This record gives sequence, C-alpha cells and structure tokens, in this order.
Amino acid sequence: MADPMHQFEIQQVLELPAVAGFDLSITNSALWMIIAAASVTLFFAAASAKAAVVPGRLQSVGEMLYELIHNLTDSIIGHEGKRYFPFVFTLFAFILAMNLLGMVPYFFTSTSQLAVTATLGVLVIAVVIAVGFARNGLGFFKLFVPSGVPFFVLPLVVVIEVISFLVRPVTLALRLFGNMVGGHVVLKVFGGFVVSLGALGALGIVGALVTLTGTVAITALEFMVAFLQAFVFAVLACVYLNDVVNLHSH
Amino acid sequence: MAQTTTELEPGGAIVETPPTTLSHDLHESTEAAEHGTSGLPQFEFGYWPGQIFWLLIVFAILYVILSKLFLPRVGGAIEARAAKIEGDLADARAARDEAERQSAEAAAELAQARGRAQKTAADAKAAAKAEADTRNAAEEAKLHERLAVAEAGIQAGREKAMANVRSLAAETAEAIVEKLSGQAPTRAEVDAAIARNAA
Repeated sequence: MADPMHQFEIQQVLELPAVAGFDLSITNSALWMIIAAASVTLFFAAASAKAAVVPGRLQSVGEMLYELIHNLTDSIIGHEGKRYFPFVFTLFAFILAMNLLGMVPYFFTSTSQLAVTATLGVLVIAVVIAVGFARNGLGFFKLFVPSGVPFFVLPLVVVIEVISFLVRPVTLALRLFGNMVGGHVVLKVFGGFVVSLGALGALGIVGALVTLTGTVAITALEFMVAFLQAFVFAVLACVYLNDVVNLHSH
Repeated sequence: MAQTTTELEPGGAIVETPPTTLSHDLHESTEAAEHGTSGLPQFEFGYWPGQIFWLLIVFAILYVILSKLFLPRVGGAIEARAAKIEGDLADARAARDEAERQSAEAAAELAQARGRAQKTAADAKAAAKAEADTRNAAEEAKLHERLAVAEAGIQAGREKAMANVRSLAAETAEAIVEKLSGQAPTRAEVDAAIARNAA
C-alpha cells in the first residue's frame, strides 16, 4: 500500500537563494498557495466581470459567497463588521480554495501543512491584537478582566482568560490542519484498501466494492469538510475580532 | 535564480528536473541534512520559513486584490440590484397611484357627464312638455272657439226655424179657421192664440 503520508511531503519547485539563513524557495506548498490565490482571483474576475442586475451562474455563486461572509461579519461583529469584512473574506476564500484544490487527485493540499495553518492562526490573532490596541489602547487588557467577577477569584480568572486567548491560534491552526490531514489520510488508506483487497480474488472484490463505496462517501464528506473548515475559520476570526471591536460590551 | 521546470506525477509529488547550477548542488546537500525524514512531513521545520514567507505574501496580495477590486465590484452589483429593485418598486407604486388617481378622475368625470346628460335630458323633456302643453292649449282654445261659433250657428238656425214654424203655424191656423168658419181671422188674433197654446 502506498504511504498515506507521502502526499504531504514538501518538494522544492523553484529554488531561491536563502535570505538570512532561511530557505525561502518556492515549494509545492507555496506553489499551491499561489495557485489557490490565482484561482480565487480568476473566479472573482469572472464572477464580477459583468456585474449584471440579473446574475449568471458564476456571478450568483460569487455573490452567495460574498453575502455568506458579509452576513457573518455583520451578525457577529455588528455595524463595525464591514471594516473587517475584506480580511475575513480573504481568509475564507483563500482557505476554501486551498482545501478544495486539495480534493483534486494529485493536487497538493497546502492547508495540510501545519506551517500554513499555524501562520494563518497567528495572523488572525495578530490582527485581533493590532485591532484591539488600535481601538482601545491599553484598554485592550480589559479583555482579560471580565466584569462582575468577585475580586478574590479575579487573578485566577485573568490567568484563565490569558491562557484561553493564547490558545486561540493553536486551536485555529490544529483544527484546520487536523481536519485536512485526517481526511486525506483516511481517503488514501481507504483507496489503498480498494486496490489491495481487489487483488485478493472474488471475496476480496466484494470487500473492495464495500470499501470503494466508503471511499466515495468519504470523498463527499471531505468536500463538506473543506467548505466547513474554511467557514469555521472565518466564523472564529469574526468572534475573536468582535471581542476586541466591541470590548466595552463585555 | 535557478530555472526549473516542473511536472505533476501520480501521488501529488512535484518532480523537479535539476537545474544546472552549481549552487543547487550545494543547497541540496544542506537540505538533505535539514529536511531529514523524521515522521510527519509537516514537521520538517526547514521548509517552514519558505511556506510562512510565501503564505504571508500571497495572502497580502490576495487581500489587496479582493478588498480593492473584486469585493467592491461584487458588493456594488448587489447594492445596484437592491437599489434597482427598490427603484422599480417605487416606480411601480407611483404608476399604480397615478393609475388609481386617473381612474378616480375618470370616474368623477363620468359621473359628472352622466349628471349633465341627465340634466340635459330632463331639460329637453321639460321644454318639449311645455311646448306641447302650450300647443295643446292653443289647439284647445281654437277648438273651443270653433265649437262656440258652431253652437251659435246652430242656435241661430234653430231660432230661425222656430220663427218659420210660428209663421207657418199662423198661416195654417188662419187657413183652417177660414175654412171652418168661412171668415178669415185677423193676424193679431191668430198670433195671440198661438202664443196662448205655445205657453
């Protein structure tokens, strides 16, 4: 059976000179990020080319995605949400594109790389912290001091709040990473079963058919996961942004 | 920068045809040390800086493209549609109001015209009736007059006839008396006798 981890191996595509000792060469991971971003760009170029009053199919899908995230920022962050809409939308579209491209056989899934998901998680938290300080100054630290807590448990609560805040990028990164890796490994293993069972004769072929059905079902599930994880990432980015945008209401 | 060509191979691996530069071989050797196969490919930290670097760059470019170009366009189309629908609805509402106003106006005009027509008809009827009445009255008066003339004529005729009858009776009586008595009475005696009998 093929090694299910082989699909995650990083290969160098375009070698670039190291900068300050760091290897910044374009790998297959970076290449598929670029392809994902190019796909998003091409898709929206096509979807918004006509900007017709009666939208065509492409434009409808583009507007559906737009309104999906727009409603998200609007309902979670509120009126201020539209300032952060482009950021959340870029996150969503980029992750969705990387996830969906990964569903195509022989394509590489950039979001199965912890380096990628961790960077995205840290990016979200960095933006949250920047927005928090920009809007509230030092009042940002009130985020860790919930009101209405008795003073003798306050230190404990503050410690818990700080830890839960620091854990956010980790959970963001691991959730996306785990979902993508898990799904792809399961698909690979099941696909491998189909082949190896099929080689075992008549009974094996029956088993292979059962496994094949499972593989098809998991493939459908993985498409849903690809969309859902991008959506969850966007939702959590909105929730974390809302914490610092509407700090006073805590 | 080293020129490379890539091609996809089953299994998702991207195979690199080695570039013909010296630095590559040097790099390859350090890479082999760095990216040794130790469990999950995701934990080969030597590849992390490149991925992080390109992710941030690609993300930033995509953010600029989407936020400056495509999102305003898509949002603009959605807003334009909402505005168009709103405008069309307002137009339709205005047109409906206008139609209703015109219909009310037309109904009022119709009622007015009907009233006018009815009044005209009533007037004409009254005028005709009055004319007929006067003509009738004139005709009647004329008839009355003729009737009176005729009646007078008849009366005159009768009186004349009566007078003739009296003189005839007087002559007859005179003749009868003469025959019977052989003596002709005077006209005055006869007249007196007739007047006595006629009374």
